[in-house]
Amino acid sequence: MSRRLVGSVAATLVVVLAAGCGGSSGADGKIELSLGLFSDFGYDKLIEEYMASHSNIKIEQRKVKMEQHNTQLATQLAGGRGAADIVALEEGVVSQFRASKDKFVNLAEYGAKDLKDQWAGWKWNQGTADNGEFVLGLGTDMGSLGLCYRADLFAAAGLPTDRTEVAKLWPTWADYAKVADQFTAKTPNVKFVDTGRNVYKAILDQTEEGYFAKDDSYIAEKNDKVKTAFDTAAALGTKQQTGALEPFSQDWNVALKQGSFATTTCPAWALALIKAGAGDAAAGKWDVTTAPGGGGNWGGSFLAIPKQGKHPKEAYELAKWLTAPEQQKRIFKETGNLPSQPKVYQDAEVQATVNEYFNKAPVGQIFATSAESLKPTYRGTKDSKVGPVFATALTRVEQGKQSAAEAWTQALKEATDAAK
Amino acid sequence: MTAVRTETEAAPAVSVSSSKEPKRFRLSNWDAKYTPYLIIAPFFLVFGIFGLYPLVYTAWVSLHEWQLIDGNLGFVGFANYAELFGDTKFWNALFNTLSLFVLSTVPQLLAALGLAALLDRGLRGSAFWRAGVLLPNVISVAAVALVFAQFFGRDFGIVNFLLGLVGVDPIDWRAETWASHLAVSTMVMWRWTGYNALLYLAAMQSVPKDMYESATLDGASRWRMFWSITVPSIRPTILFTVVTSTIGGLQLFAEPALFDPGFAANNSTGGSDRQFQTLVLYMYEKGFRLFDAGYAATIAWMLFVVVLLVAIVNFTLTRRIAGKE
Repeated sequence: MSRRLVGSVAATLVVVLAAGCGGSSGADGKIELSLGLFSDFGYDKLIEEYMASHSNIKIEQRKVKMEQHNTQLATQLAGGRGAADIVALEEGVVSQFRASKDKFVNLAEYGAKDLKDQWAGWKWNQGTADNGEFVLGLGTDMGSLGLCYRADLFAAAGLPTDRTEVAKLWPTWADYAKVADQFTAKTPNVKFVDTGRNVYKAILDQTEEGYFAKDDSYIAEKNDKVKTAFDTAAALGTKQQTGALEPFSQDWNVALKQGSFATTTCPAWALALIKAGAGDAAAGKWDVTTAPGGGGNWGGSFLAIPKQGKHPKEAYELAKWLTAPEQQKRIFKETGNLPSQPKVYQDAEVQATVNEYFNKAPVGQIFATSAESLKPTYRGTKDSKVGPVFATALTRVEQGKQSAAEAWTQALKEATDAAK
Repeated sequence: MTAVRTETEAAPAVSVSSSKEPKRFRLSNWDAKYTPYLIIAPFFLVFGIFGLYPLVYTAWVSLHEWQLIDGNLGFVGFANYAELFGDTKFWNALFNTLSLFVLSTVPQLLAALGLAALLDRGLRGSAFWRAGVLLPNVISVAAVALVFAQFFGRDFGIVNFLLGLVGVDPIDWRAETWASHLAVSTMVMWRWTGYNALLYLAAMQSVPKDMYESATLDGASRWRMFWSITVPSIRPTILFTVVTSTIGGLQLFAEPALFDPGFAANNSTGGSDRQFQTLVLYMYEKGFRLFDAGYAATIAWMLFVVVLLVAIVNFTLTRRIAGKE
């Protein structure tokens, strides 16, 4: 009896272990490649095409939420197994993963440097390390800034509704704050902006150095631009002109549907989120125009290849194809994700693109113009640790828990700890 | 299982009559002595791999500067622990954990006791009610949290709407410490009260009915019977639920995490000022968002110690309260 039991336990273990050792070459002899993504990269159709033209390759997409994606990837890199063959790295965390670049394939080994000129210079640089010798990832989209507003709510507050007129209202963020005052005076029950946090982020994304100087030293406490951005956003919060919403949360969706705020900062990729949240009933009510303070970049991603994958060469070929100009153009037309390659966003067809939902706004032109003028912010290695500290500080102001000065003091202290 | 039991039960009989068969005697003696250990060995094997090893490994990690992706960056002794004891965020998380634990567990177990007593009185369609109280426990915690997070919404939440009907100003449930603790505790209570009630009910049904009959003859009230007969009789079950609720309650994670709208984004701190950040949430923040695995391991070990201490205290307290042996 006992021997039989031991035998069966051993047999079970063998089965479990065997199941755990599945190779990445399928039973039909095809090379299986997996893509670890978050939100919508617009790859569904492209992948089908790629598989049709490469009969020996089978591709599987894994989509999870961004936070989960980053956490999973970190543990998979640490454990040395489980990561997808190609993983997406978002601009906000790419610097954090760049610090562990040993875990990734240097794409320069496969000739990635020859592709350099496809991308905007800053986009290419964000995806590289060691002065460009190490190529960590190939750029997908970018998030050049625009500002979205509800034309009907602007009309109710006696403000202009035409997008060129609206853009003239706010050349700078100080002007934007003045418009907020006018708006609130007329329609006090509607919030002017969803959250001060995105205003803060947008202002900061328009500076070349934020929390970290270009030599990666921590400068938040002495960088006036951080303080100015914080004060501008906090003032909106103190005056209760913000909805104090967590961006892109369930509450944010509800507020969109209820039409309870009138403006929101919108990088190109946010248009799809606004449309999804506000629903068909709000079609034509939202519009896009130029953001105060010029161009800036928020978001956009890179495709990188973890070293643990079994088919780095095939993975590289796929990543190269997915980020190539022709594909970026198609993705823009389908999802609105803005290409990170000047030749593509300057393309006549891209420039002529309008977004029906956003009152037929010429999004191609608006975002491309913004992209032309943008100065990308240097992201320090610890940027993603420091940033959230200031975001929660602004939430405290919006919640009425702290004054702007108190929140700033606490945030600086926490940020200094986080940057250590 | 049955085969084993007959073999072991048969063993003494064999030993009496087997003086002429020494070989077989030795074999069955060995069988009687060691088979039980062999049978429970898989549990300890599995526990060793999935319980003990991670525990020891975590302790090892906590003594190092350890980055999540890059791994070991050098031995630092008890530096992480020293830092932890001076870390106000740790004490804040500990306070939140204990507060949430008390707020959710005490009313939960009392309510479960009451619910069990009601179910024990032989309602019509008892199977329906019994299955019904377990339902909240079967539903996935993510779904529960999603629904409750909307109930406790600031602008469009139903709780604030109902409070508004009786003239109470809307409450920002995520901004205030007490309000957030109340909301999160409600979620925990909703999930676990029914489960504990069923455990109590099962125990109550094995209490001999003649005890109640004689108490009734002596003129005892229902209330008196409940506290003097029912509760002391189901003491082992109460102790069990107290210990399991302690372990579960102090490791609270999913409910406060999903209550925080920032959790899906990049800042999962359990409130704008860590109003409802529990120890496990803090551990998650350190380990998986800030990639400081060494410090996260330190928090994990402190949590282990806290759970152990509170479980012992609760065990002793409940034993006293629920009547002496």
